[in-house]
Amino acid sequence: MAERPDVPSSVPELTGALADVGYLADRGLATSLYLGLRLGRPVLLEGEVGVGKTEVAKAMAVVLGRRLIRLQCYEGIDSSQALYEWDYARQMLQIRAMSERRLDDDAAVDQLFGPEFLLERPLLDAVRAGDGAVLLVDEVDRADDEFEAFLLELLSDFQITIPEIGTVAAERPPFVVLTSNRTRELHDALKRRCLYHWVGYPSAEREVEIVLVREPGVTEVLARKVVAAVNRLRTLELAKPPGVAETIDWVRSLDVLGAQDLDEEVAADTIGAVVKERDDLDLVSGDLARITSGA
Amino acid sequence: MPDAPAAAVSLVPTLVGFARRLRAAGVPLGTGDVLTYCAAAEPLDPTDLVDLYWGGRATLVTTHEQVPVYDRVFRAYYLGQAEEEDEAVPFSLQAKEDARAELQLPESQPGDERDEREVRLGLVASDVATLKGKSFAACTPDELVALRRIMRTVRLTPPRRRSRRRRASRDGRSPDPRRTVRASMRTLGEPTELWWRRRRTRLRPLVLVLDVSGSMTDYSRSLLQFAYSARRAATRVEVFCFGTRLTRITRELEHRRPDEALSRAAEAVVDWDGGTRIGESLAAFVRDWGRRGTSRGAIVVICSDGLDRGDPAVLDKSLERLGRLCHRIVWLNPHMTGGSAFRPSTLGMMVAAPHVDLLLSGHDLASLEEFAARLPDLG
Repeated sequence: MAERPDVPSSVPELTGALADVGYLADRGLATSLYLGLRLGRPVLLEGEVGVGKTEVAKAMAVVLGRRLIRLQCYEGIDSSQALYEWDYARQMLQIRAMSERRLDDDAAVDQLFGPEFLLERPLLDAVRAGDGAVLLVDEVDRADDEFEAFLLELLSDFQITIPEIGTVAAERPPFVVLTSNRTRELHDALKRRCLYHWVGYPSAEREVEIVLVREPGVTEVLARKVVAAVNRLRTLELAKPPGVAETIDWVRSLDVLGAQDLDEEVAADTIGAVVKERDDLDLVSGDLARITSGA
Repeated sequence: MPDAPAAAVSLVPTLVGFARRLRAAGVPLGTGDVLTYCAAAEPLDPTDLVDLYWGGRATLVTTHEQVPVYDRVFRAYYLGQAEEEDEAVPFSLQAKEDARAELQLPESQPGDERDEREVRLGLVASDVATLKGKSFAACTPDELVALRRIMRTVRLTPPRRRSRRRRASRDGRSPDPRRTVRASMRTLGEPTELWWRRRRTRLRPLVLVLDVSGSMTDYSRSLLQFAYSARRAATRVEVFCFGTRLTRITRELEHRRPDEALSRAAEAVVDWDGGTRIGESLAAFVRDWGRRGTSRGAIVVICSDGLDRGDPAVLDKSLERLGRLCHRIVWLNPHMTGGSAFRPSTLGMMVAAPHVDLLLSGHDLASLEEFAARLPDLG
């Protein structure tokens, strides 16, 4: 496979490039992404919510200098929302105009199904863009089996056939990232197509770094305290354990309020940034003093 | 599929050897996966152990649960550390379809599910009327086998819900512009007929949470047989077992016979003197599975006698949350007799009763049939 000049040529180089754009990837994640790039395989990321799965694709798009094309999956998503759709309103008007001007030759009819009446949806867009794009298929577990099967076909060939126009194929495939929150098990066939990586919670040390990269304004002392508190929260049996996104939100909230330190009082005021479930609040609120005590 | 590159050829036997060991340890791997693994060694530095580790993990592992197996085999193969024997049982036992000879049962006819179910229930009734009312716990092994065989033919049909997916129809709720425009081409753009789309319906997923402690095992086994038949109806079925702890056995059921999977699960989750912890097990289900969406829109079937050794407040709270995370809760309590006049006698059942949408006994085939018959109407 011919390489584009801007593709990082080793795992450390990719890690460095990602860090430059504010994403701190660990060795395993960086290796998976690097292999995905080199082998032309999609990368499937699974993990808890709020650990930065979606951010990976955004960071990769910046690193590679490519356009990010995002497809958010949901139940019942079908080809007219993922691939393409004809612009019916315009086609209708055109047909009317044609019949008034008595244009009923073949060329005029062909024009009706020409590119100007085609609405491109993310997957067609990505196939056309080829390796000029990073395609993010977000929360693929929310789509249903039928869509998964369709995606499998697309991910193997990177070509789409539109009956009225012809086949559109990507000369070099886009870099594809799929994310899943594991609300259901994905089909093995889809997993087989992909490189798999489980994104877990980062170590406390790494999480402090992430916070400082994302919120450069805050002091390290505050970042450490918040990360320590969040890690204590994760050991409680919460219904929704806070992810890295919540840690960053919390730090940001504290920063906006001008708090220099995390104590019981200010934590009680801002706990809504991290704990978002009533039962969890009951569990946490009696224990805030211990949770916020020191780094 | 990328070819194995020349630079790494000398390594290929080593890499393939590793993949074979991994396969022997129960990770399903095709030749294509092994090729990808070898191809991955080329852009990386295979003499770097960390690269070797992550290259394999990205290409050979497809679920989070396989990671510990991968780690173990990696350590044994590349680092020469001894394997612990206890876990090294391959899960390659294929579920064998038992011959179903003795009872004359007709092959299923594709058609209206509701009709089919009624026909089948009728047949069951005529063939084994005597066995039907006998409690599973009182059956001899032979009788149980016969009952199982009948159960295999009763189909569980969960209620349907409207899906977000639409299909073309003459009388739907929302217009179908694609078809309408297509049709109007024939009449020079005059839309003479409006086409519609209507929502499709889908079967709701089914989640079984089975008590496998002590006296409950017989009943749970029977229910599991039911779950098997529901899987064939192309429904999503998830199965969990609990005793003192909770474990998910959906995956194992794909590889093993139901009985074997259940016995293994029972070994894993039952401390013989620990008693049943329904509350904590359900709390674990809600925390680890329910909130991620496993039970969303589903019919959750709990099979237990309600003898809870844990804190009733935990049971109350978990059922309340489960009620918000699923569509309906059905509780099968085999130790319950007296039909609809039943009054809960155990503390667990008293706590649970207000949260449960349907309470049945499920101690014999007749009551399981009642369950199967009422399931489609829980919508």
